[in-house]
Amino acid sequence: MASHSNSKHEGGGHGGHGGHHDDGAVHAHISSVPFYIFIFAMLLVFTVITVGQSYVDLGKMNLLVVILIATCKASLVVTFFMHLKHDNRFNALMFVSGLLFIGVFFTYTMNDTERRGEIDETSAVWVLPKTGEHAPGGLDVKVQEERRAKMVKEHAGHGAAGAGGHEAPHGDHHPAPGVTTEQRH
Amino acid sequence: MSTEAASPHDEHEGDHHAHPKWLAHHFETPAQQFDADKLGMWAFLVQELLFFSGLFVAYGVFRSWYPQTFIACSHQLDKIMGGTNTVVLLFSSLTAALAVRSAQVGNKKATGRFLLITIACACAFLVIKYFEYSHKIHSGLLPGYWYAPHDIHGDKPLPPNGHAFFSIYFMMTGVHGIHVAVGIGVLLWIWARNRRGDFSKEYFTPVDLVALYWHLVDLVWIYLFPLLYLI
Repeated sequence: MASHSNSKHEGGGHGGHGGHHDDGAVHAHISSVPFYIFIFAMLLVFTVITVGQSYVDLGKMNLLVVILIATCKASLVVTFFMHLKHDNRFNALMFVSGLLFIGVFFTYTMNDTERRGEIDETSAVWVLPKTGEHAPGGLDVKVQEERRAKMVKEHAGHGAAGAGGHEAPHGDHHPAPGVTTEQRH
Repeated sequence: MSTEAASPHDEHEGDHHAHPKWLAHHFETPAQQFDADKLGMWAFLVQELLFFSGLFVAYGVFRSWYPQTFIACSHQLDKIMGGTNTVVLLFSSLTAALAVRSAQVGNKKATGRFLLITIACACAFLVIKYFEYSHKIHSGLLPGYWYAPHDIHGDKPLPPNGHAFFSIYFMMTGVHGIHVAVGIGVLLWIWARNRRGDFSKEYFTPVDLVALYWHLVDLVWIYLFPLLYLI
């Protein structure tokens, strides 16, 4: 890459502050000014691409493309502006392991929030709001069916008895489904 | 950290290591101190990333739950202002990197100049952010309880749960803005130390570390901009 032709080493050490093979002085890699400007130009190009892309609807690919471009930019900043390329490798290891834990955070959280069922108002069973299928986990289908029968019965009772039953609990502690189900897609 | 002027002694002979004033007594060599300083800084930066990741996870969860709301509300943000701020921050990252480079080659004057440009960009970023925020406040595009949209762009009314988007918007950009403000503070501090002559070819670590922090602020914005403005 251009980084080698555009940059020079000072003191002859190649990222050499990791060991004690020298006089103990700091021999950090020094990139040239044109090289830094080149990286900045690349960052600008990616910015123009991502803004331009926002005017084109790629459907579900939108988010993926946006993240991909941002990650290209972030890699340039981390590798060259933040010197990770020529730095002690342990710093890079720490950075990457940090990213790994962010991945764990994302995966486990969204694995939950994406699979939460909601009570469907008409059938009174737990369904996935996005697909309408039975939600995994939680109560099994048989118990859900029993609950449904009970709920239907209660509603029929309310109809006959008239007003006054609004405070009656539905028999479970789950949040009322009404509003959120409508707003979600 | 020593704040003494950088003037390494010329005592390379003898059994004792040369111990310049900026080298803390518990370090054998400048390289060892440099490595330790950088390791500490990277530990802090990784912590910062993990700290921000909480907000990004919140973003992911809510965007997945309310995709249409996010699209509608995102269109209320000003792409031009956001884009300008992106370029301003990227440019300030460049000048921060050049400030470090100048310090590495011992060009004190250039270091100071680049640091000042970086600070100016940081201030410009906050000024643009101020205009954006005042516009949002004017239009009632606020988090939670205060969400009362009026005078908005476009004909379609905003969804009733738009407060979720604006809660996340203000939290993410707000915490990032605080980081920018802190960045201005530490950059000024380093600028003053540079002017005082604390740094040299042999000792430029503080310039390096503050620049690392500044690049991280840029890094977070690189993700914030497309995720909030360009949906």
